[in-house]
Amino acid sequence: MSWIVRMIVVLPALAALAGLLARRQRLLAAGIAIGMSAYVAVLAFIQWVAPARTADIESIGRLSTGALQVPLHLLSDRLSGLVALAVAVVVLAIQVFTAWYLRDDPRYGQFAATVSLFATGMLLLVQASDLVLILVGWEIMGWCSWLLIGHDSQRPEARRAAYKAFIVTRVADIGMVVGLVALAVRAGSTDLITVLTASGHDTALTVGLVGVIIGVAGKSGLIPFHDWLPDAMEGPTPASALIHAATMVAAGSYVIARLFSLYASHDGARTLLAVLASATMVYAALLAFAQTDLKRMLAYSTLSQIAIMLAALAAAPPDIGFAPAIGHLVAHAFFKALLFLGAGWLSVLAGATALAALRGRLHGTGALRWSIGLGLAALAGVPPLIGFFTKDSVIETSIEGATGGGGARAWLVVVALFVTVVLTATYCARAWLLLDTPLAAAEPQSGGSPNAATGSDVPEAVVVAEEDLAVVTAADSADDAEVERVHAHGHAPITLSAALAVATLAALTVFGTLLLFSLTGALKPGIVSALLSLLLVVGAAYAVWTLSDRGRHDVADRVPSHVRDRAVRGFGADTAYVGVGRAVTAVARLVVALDRDVVDAYPRATVVAARGLGRVGERSHRGVPSLSLLALLAGVVVIAVLGVTAWR
Amino acid sequence: MSVSVDVAVLWPALVPIAGLVLVLVADLVVPRLRRVPYAIAGVASIATVVATIPGLGLGGGSARSTFCISAAAGASGASGAAGAVAADLPQTCLWQADALTSTLQLAAALAAAVCIALAWPGASRRRPADATSEPVEAVLLLAALTGTVVVAASRDVGTWLVALELATLPVIALVALSGRRSAVAGATQLLVTSLVSFALLVLGVALWFAATGSPFLTPDAALSSGRAQGVGWFSYAPLGPGETATTMSGAAGATVVAWPSVSAGVLSLGVVLLLAGVGFKLSLVPFHAWTPTAYSGASTPIAAFLATVSKVAALAALLVVLRAVAALGTPALITIGVLAALSMTLGNLMALRQDDVVRLLAWSTVAQAGWVVMPLVSVSALGIGASATYLLAYVIGTLVAFAVVAVTLRERPDGRDLTAYDGLWHRKPWRAGALVLALTSLAGLPPGIIGLVGKVVALRPVIAEGWVWLAVVAAVNAVIGVAVYLRWLRGVITAPEPTSADEALPVTATTAATLATEQRRVALAGLVVAAAVLVVVSVQPDLLLRLLG
Repeated sequence: MSWIVRMIVVLPALAALAGLLARRQRLLAAGIAIGMSAYVAVLAFIQWVAPARTADIESIGRLSTGALQVPLHLLSDRLSGLVALAVAVVVLAIQVFTAWYLRDDPRYGQFAATVSLFATGMLLLVQASDLVLILVGWEIMGWCSWLLIGHDSQRPEARRAAYKAFIVTRVADIGMVVGLVALAVRAGSTDLITVLTASGHDTALTVGLVGVIIGVAGKSGLIPFHDWLPDAMEGPTPASALIHAATMVAAGSYVIARLFSLYASHDGARTLLAVLASATMVYAALLAFAQTDLKRMLAYSTLSQIAIMLAALAAAPPDIGFAPAIGHLVAHAFFKALLFLGAGWLSVLAGATALAALRGRLHGTGALRWSIGLGLAALAGVPPLIGFFTKDSVIETSIEGATGGGGARAWLVVVALFVTVVLTATYCARAWLLLDTPLAAAEPQSGGSPNAATGSDVPEAVVVAEEDLAVVTAADSADDAEVERVHAHGHAPITLSAALAVATLAALTVFGTLLLFSLTGALKPGIVSALLSLLLVVGAAYAVWTLSDRGRHDVADRVPSHVRDRAVRGFGADTAYVGVGRAVTAVARLVVALDRDVVDAYPRATVVAARGLGRVGERSHRGVPSLSLLALLAGVVVIAVLGVTAWR
Repeated sequence: MSVSVDVAVLWPALVPIAGLVLVLVADLVVPRLRRVPYAIAGVASIATVVATIPGLGLGGGSARSTFCISAAAGASGASGAAGAVAADLPQTCLWQADALTSTLQLAAALAAAVCIALAWPGASRRRPADATSEPVEAVLLLAALTGTVVVAASRDVGTWLVALELATLPVIALVALSGRRSAVAGATQLLVTSLVSFALLVLGVALWFAATGSPFLTPDAALSSGRAQGVGWFSYAPLGPGETATTMSGAAGATVVAWPSVSAGVLSLGVVLLLAGVGFKLSLVPFHAWTPTAYSGASTPIAAFLATVSKVAALAALLVVLRAVAALGTPALITIGVLAALSMTLGNLMALRQDDVVRLLAWSTVAQAGWVVMPLVSVSALGIGASATYLLAYVIGTLVAFAVVAVTLRERPDGRDLTAYDGLWHRKPWRAGALVLALTSLAGLPPGIIGLVGKVVALRPVIAEGWVWLAVVAAVNAVIGVAVYLRWLRGVITAPEPTSADEALPVTATTAATLATEQRRVALAGLVVAAAVLVVVSVQPDLLLRLLG
């Protein structure tokens, strides 16, 4: 059994290496990437069916690090089995889809190999039973996200987005590293089980847990680190699907779930997590509503959904634990991958990702229409889709936490969850109405609003004030590369395999709930909360339906335009990041100046002194014998006196 | 009195003398050949190198000795006082060459061979009838080498003094030989200083004899100053052998106790004067003033000889004295510490301002001399070994640097300017590499590992004895030293490739070089040998450290 666990980690890495070597042969690269991820999915399925409950699978042998134990073990249990399966399936679907989606990209081989490496990172993190391995997986994903987001590296926007993602998550990773080190120091070992069972050292525990939360906030896009994720839409759609659905942003939830027993005993850290998650959940859902671009809307919805998982971890009572959060993680993996791949498919048909350009394009597309419909419904939490069950489990768990001693922290989460339910249903309904209502029906009203997002009538100067601010314009497609791709190569019909991949994800969105039965506690819907949230969803959807005049308008146009514009640009979070960057640079300059003008003044003084002394010495050496004799005699007298008096 | 003579041990001294005689004979027979004297001198110094090799393997205090005076004979033949000393010993040898001595002799001979290669005469096969400089130079070089070899092994004051002067006086003539005004000025200054120093040396030797009553520069002699007052010059009541024995056992009377301090004071004054006399040859501040003048006045090979062979001679002489004194258990000599600190500081500060590479190297010699004697503040085997190690590292590095200067001077007349080396890396990568290695080794930076090792080794006894202030001064000077040598290297490496305007110079240089191809080739061979040694000890510093135990 343990070899399966090892293989699940090693094979994607080998696939990445082989794919990189074979990157020039397109077919071979695709074969390696798809074949290997299919095999990994099979292995993950076996692990899920018959999980070995063990936490000491040897990986590369223990590191000799003196007092600190670094066993580098892998583990296998129901949690890792379930998540590994979800990751493997999503990665497989993405690989299959990518082979079609990037059919004209000369750098397809590199992309597929990077996706494999990315999967290695996530699977290593999932299977790791050691903080060091968790960190390694974490860092692999951070680096791969930079590669994937910046895949279209000839475009400055993509490069900027890649660097933004890398730097923002890197800054937060400082917290992650500090936190993991603190936990390891506390336990005297990096082994996960030892870390969980260690006791004492409250300060180290606090530092560790808070540090991990900061790191998670970076990768999972909690406020204030959230703004990199919408910009990451500059990457090709499969990369977005990968980052959003099952891997990088969800990894934070998984790490906290692994450390749950520590968090359960530490109210302070959980309160911090609850506040961050609740704020992000509501804020991101609000912004999602205002977006003018399908992919950016999905990005904000990801932020909101990830925050739901983390909120579940923050509010869950210790006896229920992390299972509901992981359930939502798996559900989100399926429906978000479905939505992204569907969006990618749609964008190929329409040649754009801006909602204005996509209006009504979903009508009459058959399978695609069904897929996106299912995805949005699952996102909004419509029964009997997987999203309904997991979200309701989270709500029910939070209510139990609130009534069972969780106090203000859990109540905050509960309130935020209900607000988010409403908002999620709203933006899902809006998106569906925009995409599905035939353009003819909306035509008469188009352009009626002064700031209708219909194209280039938004002046550039308003939006792009400064070159290093966000380059997103209200009517812009986030994925310009896709637009160019379509213009260059036309609308290629989807291949059967890619369509099958999307269909599989759609099926999982419907029936995936069955998978969750394997994890105890992942499904515990409450009747009252279910009814309430269903009511809220229906109400919100109806409100959108009415307000938008049956889909003829964009309901978001009702938002005042100055607020809308700023919401589209994330309320200046990017500017704030730039400001922070400038502040750091300014401090660095100050330090350099201090170092140069104050600290270095002393060494420079020695230079001046040395030169001066040298000049004096030069004057006193005129090269005449008398002077040297004088020096000699004086020297003899001095050293004779010195020598005799100091003898012994 | 029976004296045993073992000729096999004496070969390192006999070979250069034989070479010297050969040169004179050859000059007598075929007077106008220019190269033969140099060839003989070169062969003789290489043979000297070979002759010292058997002594290198000696370990653990064993030595190859000769001119040994056996105990019984000494007691019957010498005065009562000397006899008492000899009675303590099985025998006393006037020539003792252990591993340390042999290594120093080898270094001197090797350096001399390289200097001779650098001084190889120019194109015309026959010299004009009136000029005699070649055989004279060869003879003087060999004489100085002989003096160096002998002084390192000498164990009695007579041999020591004569050998030291033999190592010094020819060099003065060598400096003066080129006949330039600056050469004469340098030689004059050298001569004047050397005379006074010789006076100091003789005075020091006299005091040594007064304090110990022994003409031998051996530990036993030094010890006798502290315990056997009867044999001292200041002891007005000579004691018989029996009474000596009682004082040794510690049952001494009041009159006996009064004398040791005087005797020790005399001994210390003697040692300090010897130090001052030798310090002149080592160019320790304040006895250094002749150094830049003489170096810049002399031709480059002679300057190299002054900077290497002469320094070996001086340190070998000093070590002979200090090894004898070490037996007294004197923990440290503050005099040496002061001299070392002064030399380093002044040498580095002055070197920092020089634009003439020979003068720069001259001042660097002053600074390095400080480093050489610094470990001797701890008068112990550790300190002496460290000092010798540093000396060898310094000799190799300086030799290579001088060789590069000498070779460059043959190509371009402005080879003594610091700017002449700008862009050397592009023009002559191999030579520039040798220079980089030499200068970094002098500065104590990688890739000149041996210099770094030398500095560490030199600092070890200083720290061990707790001389913190001296270590701090040394550390500061290590930093200034880096600046000194990097100032030279910066142009060598960073200067751009010469533009077309600069090309004119190398063209004339090549014509000059074709005129003197063989001369250049021999000089290059000298450079290659020195650089090869430097590379070997830099790659494997262990070799050098093991040689010195």
